[in-house]
Amino acid sequence: MPADPTLDLDLAAVTDESRRLAASIKPGTGQWDVIVVGSGAAGGMAAFQLATAGVKVLMLEAGRMLDHRREYRTMEWPYQSPRRFRVPPDHRPIAVAEYSFLDRPYGANPAYDRFKKVTSYSGNSFTRNWVVNEKEHPTTGTPYSWVRARVLGGKTNFWGRGALRYGPLQFKAASHDGYDVDWPIAYEDVSPYYDKVDVLLGCSGTKEGLVQVPDGIFQRPIKLNCVEVAFQRTLAKMGRRYIPGRAGVTTEGLLNSKYRTRCMGRGRCGRGCDISAAFHSPTALVYPARDTGNLTIRPYSVVSEVILDPATGRAAGVRVIDANTRDVMDFKARVVVLGAGTLDTTRILFNSKSGGHAAGLGNSSGLLGCHLSEHIMGPRGSGFIPSRIGTEPTLDDGRPISPYVARFRNVTDKHPDFIRGYHFQGGGGAYEYPSMANDLPGFGKAFKSSVRKYYPALLSIGGFGEVLPRKENRVTLDPDTKDAWGIPVLRFDYRFGDNELKMAKDMADSAEEMLRAAGAENIKIDRDPLPPGWSIHEIGTARMGDDPKTSVTDKFCRLHDVPNVYIADAAPFVSGGTQNTTWSILAMCWRTMDHLKERMRAGDA
Amino acid sequence: MTTRAVSRRSALRRIGAGAGALTLLPFLSDEGLAAFVKIQAAGAAPAPRILTASQYATVEALVEAIIPADERSPGAKEARVADYLDLLLSEAAPAPRKQWLDGLAALDAQASTRFGAPLVRLDAGQMEALLTDVSRYETVKARPDEESRAVTRNEQPSEKPVYVEGLFGDLSRLDRAHPRPPLEAFFADSKRATIHGYYTSEIGIHKELRYKGNQILAEFVGCQTQDGKDCPHCGQKA
Repeated sequence: MPADPTLDLDLAAVTDESRRLAASIKPGTGQWDVIVVGSGAAGGMAAFQLATAGVKVLMLEAGRMLDHRREYRTMEWPYQSPRRFRVPPDHRPIAVAEYSFLDRPYGANPAYDRFKKVTSYSGNSFTRNWVVNEKEHPTTGTPYSWVRARVLGGKTNFWGRGALRYGPLQFKAASHDGYDVDWPIAYEDVSPYYDKVDVLLGCSGTKEGLVQVPDGIFQRPIKLNCVEVAFQRTLAKMGRRYIPGRAGVTTEGLLNSKYRTRCMGRGRCGRGCDISAAFHSPTALVYPARDTGNLTIRPYSVVSEVILDPATGRAAGVRVIDANTRDVMDFKARVVVLGAGTLDTTRILFNSKSGGHAAGLGNSSGLLGCHLSEHIMGPRGSGFIPSRIGTEPTLDDGRPISPYVARFRNVTDKHPDFIRGYHFQGGGGAYEYPSMANDLPGFGKAFKSSVRKYYPALLSIGGFGEVLPRKENRVTLDPDTKDAWGIPVLRFDYRFGDNELKMAKDMADSAEEMLRAAGAENIKIDRDPLPPGWSIHEIGTARMGDDPKTSVTDKFCRLHDVPNVYIADAAPFVSGGTQNTTWSILAMCWRTMDHLKERMRAGDA
Repeated sequence: MTTRAVSRRSALRRIGAGAGALTLLPFLSDEGLAAFVKIQAAGAAPAPRILTASQYATVEALVEAIIPADERSPGAKEARVADYLDLLLSEAAPAPRKQWLDGLAALDAQASTRFGAPLVRLDAGQMEALLTDVSRYETVKARPDEESRAVTRNEQPSEKPVYVEGLFGDLSRLDRAHPRPPLEAFFADSKRATIHGYYTSEIGIHKELRYKGNQILAEFVGCQTQDGKDCPHCGQKA
């Protein structure tokens, strides 16, 4: 195997630092007011809000620290790598087609030794040091492509940067169409926090006045390129809106951060932005929080459960298994904030059985793990936009996000086949790699020149559809299968339902309709839904509500059953619309932390 | 940071120029750089791991026939796509590796049968005739009644999607539910790997596509109509 310095990064410095940190932080080496589990969007925002308010915080990250200068490899060319960024076979990701028919759990089956990671951008050569190994982290039950990153910053190191707000149509979805329940809060409760997140972290976009995806406080928007303008004009005639993507990226700079620079239009943001123009939790939240002197970060800290104080019924702290030494230790604090990600937070709660909580902590309603929701993806379309066929390419991919077709179903009208809706993301033009070459027939000079001819003209869009929250779509703890640290894994019981499949059909049909209207050549339509979990937008398994009988947390994301345990991630979300989840996690977490700080000031927590 | 990124990039442009440029690449180890430069340098002698010298020559002829040199840029041979395919082969599972090498031998055998010469010695017309036959499936319409500007749609989801293992991973998108003769499957696999190897090479990205990205921009430019002007690139009016 040839040396491949772009693949085999030298991470000795950061792993040494992580081991030193983990060895130096033990129960008794410090006193902390609040334990925050996780360091991604949720954990990062929780730690930032608390530490900047003078609260002493212990952050527990299951993975290592991050060497963002070395690991965010934004500007590497593919030819720097002999493998051209392909992941070698012993680190092979699970491919789309394989995902749904391999026997699970992969980790327990030697026949699947070559499979380690979920495919897509989560299992590529840039993220392979961050995404967990399926063999160490198996799941059972129905297929679910659960992407997890165990490293400081979690999935925010490679997120898609889609920074969209939930609006009235999401918070009051049940009032709109009669299905399920509304959130116990309204858009008006959260919109000030979205505003604060926009200002703190930077958000690029345009004011459009759309009820289905409310405006924010935007920095300079990302312009559309030529094929996208043509598509926008077509869609305008159909009464549909194709708008600049809204990116969690600062395009004008931030005066509040010494770690971040404004966007320099280089593209390749999904590898991690080496100037942190894109929001990544480490540079945007965790390092600034650490600079206050109030945040202690302990890496390699796998949290197995929340421990209860039997005398008070309140949480006393958490149990940690050191990922390297396997030492088990209990850290104590007044408050526990779980931000491990929707599903791992749920797993920790299920596994917290002390103090008479045999069904899991916070599960007196029996609804913990239920109502798992995300977005159905897969239906997509592509074609060549005539005005750009045969023209010289322009620089079309130096930007953090492609445009966005706002949801047009069930906003003002009522679709006969399904409720809720979907949006499309996507754009086109001349990207570094001409993937469309695979769709062109032939060989030789004619083939080579046809690649040139169509290279600037590709336009491609893919849908994100709301999966209805359903009680029967759930996760439970599987006592018979354990992860590499001996913690029971999640068993999924999750399927797309009739509404999702009808919606997916309409997604494909409308993609075709729009590409035809644009006069596109060589239209290709994919109708297959991707495997469940593909959106990486999981929400809902500890849903919030006013009634402890029908919900797991109150409207401030605090467990009904245990007053000093909060959830900072998307587990309490009641429904998720079509929007990408991260920006709502950040806004909701800020709101939750404001509530917590108020209670701490009042001596109530 | 910005300055460093720029010099790193320009250094890569000069990578063939000599060891002097290499000191500008602090993140690459010496060993890695040596291997990298060796592979990039068009003049270096090939050192294939799997392919024999004669197979390597056949692969060079094949990939150059798929993406040849033309008036605009060098082709797959000069871009060292054969080295890339050899690397893929060296890391492929035994079954797809054997399948691909068998395909190469079968194509070579067909060349001998039809033209009395191995693949490497075919003239342009003979190579064209050979590859036209094995790529005919690409232009066959799925249904005879497809309109000329066909819309390709895949089928509704199946419980267990097709998975076709090729040299370059899953071939199912190219090969969906169409079991095809070995030579056609070999061509599909090889074409896809050649496309990947060529268009990720320095020649493919910079000389052929004239890709302009991966550089510092004050602002993403976009279509000129976005600034209220007629756009010279696409002809759309403000």
